[in-house]
Amino acid sequence: MKQSIIRKTNRALYARIAAGIGGLLAGALSLGLSIYETRTGEEVPQSAVGTALDSGQWKVTLNSASLITRTTDGLRIADGKKALSVDLTLENLTAESSNLYRDAIKLDNVANAPIPQFYLVRDHELLWDLQPMMPETVRAVWELPATQALPKILKVTVVGTTYKPKDNLYAAPGWFNPTNIARVDLPIAPAAEGAPP
Amino acid sequence: MIRLLLFLPLIGLSALMLAFLQATTPSYAILTGPIATVGQQKDTVSSRTFSIKVDKIIRARTLAFTRYGKPIERQSAGVWVIASVELQTKKETMTIQAAAIRGASGRLYRQTHRADGAPRLVSTKTLQPGLSSTGIMIFELPEEDAHDMTLIVSKQPSPQLDSEISIKLDQNTVETRDRTEIGDNGN
Repeated sequence: MKQSIIRKTNRALYARIAAGIGGLLAGALSLGLSIYETRTGEEVPQSAVGTALDSGQWKVTLNSASLITRTTDGLRIADGKKALSVDLTLENLTAESSNLYRDAIKLDNVANAPIPQFYLVRDHELLWDLQPMMPETVRAVWELPATQALPKILKVTVVGTTYKPKDNLYAAPGWFNPTNIARVDLPIAPAAEGAPP
Repeated sequence: MIRLLLFLPLIGLSALMLAFLQATTPSYAILTGPIATVGQQKDTVSSRTFSIKVDKIIRARTLAFTRYGKPIERQSAGVWVIASVELQTKKETMTIQAAAIRGASGRLYRQTHRADGAPRLVSTKTLQPGLSSTGIMIFELPEEDAHDMTLIVSKQPSPQLDSEISIKLDQNTVETRDRTEIGDNGN
């Protein structure tokens, strides 16, 4: 009687120890995997200026970068600020009109870059929606403090997203998981004084 | 033993049934989606909250209008489609903010902001119940998609549990122009 009780408690103890070891192993494995991913990931391929890059939602072609003295809609840049402009061609690859282009490109080597303002070059006005299958020439403008030092060559990363027909919350379609698709080096041209917008 | 053997197919059957029910459950987005009404261009199409009648469809290469006294001309890589419509709300004062055209390929082209400031735009009008009012909606789409079009109108974009009217547009009534000028009264 006494022996069987001891055996039982021993068995329970072994079960707990086994479960504990299993849990620790799982934790160590997931930690190791995430460390491995952060160490080996982030290999963003370099692309040439003017290549069309498929980001899922957008076909992005980065053409040039320059400093500008007037925004595309003809307004003067505020005192104490300077404006960095990137000329690009955007084509909406999705099935409906969209204005979700703001996160499609980002600057790698400009500190604290604000959200850029997008202009439609054809109209010299702010850009709203881009219609599917209609590529447009677009200018993205970042307003920065005049004192901020800028690199000679701007590194722009194109961020891609993946389509999910059903998201996990509402089972609604959408674009998720932003990943860096490609990096393009754009030389920054100096501002042409008094040039037309 | 025999009872267990009888139970097994029963359990399998119920698992199948549950799997079928799970696979065919409509998603949340569909359950809370628009309440659709479908109609033809020649009819006045009514939903629970508003009704619409398409008067005229114009297709043009160039769009011209005057905004704050300044002439504006808009070119397009595709074509402009301008729909003149007559709208009436039923119960309450409202605005019709969302209009889109589904093209031949199934892509959805929302009304353009490139013509903002043009006169008589539906999106700028407040509709009073019982009073009909006319206006235009302007769309920009590639030429290859500008046939077999369906006009989709609702109070707000992607309405949830709210009326949405789809109207199949009749290709034969589309008037093609090279340049169209949007005036203050009719065109």
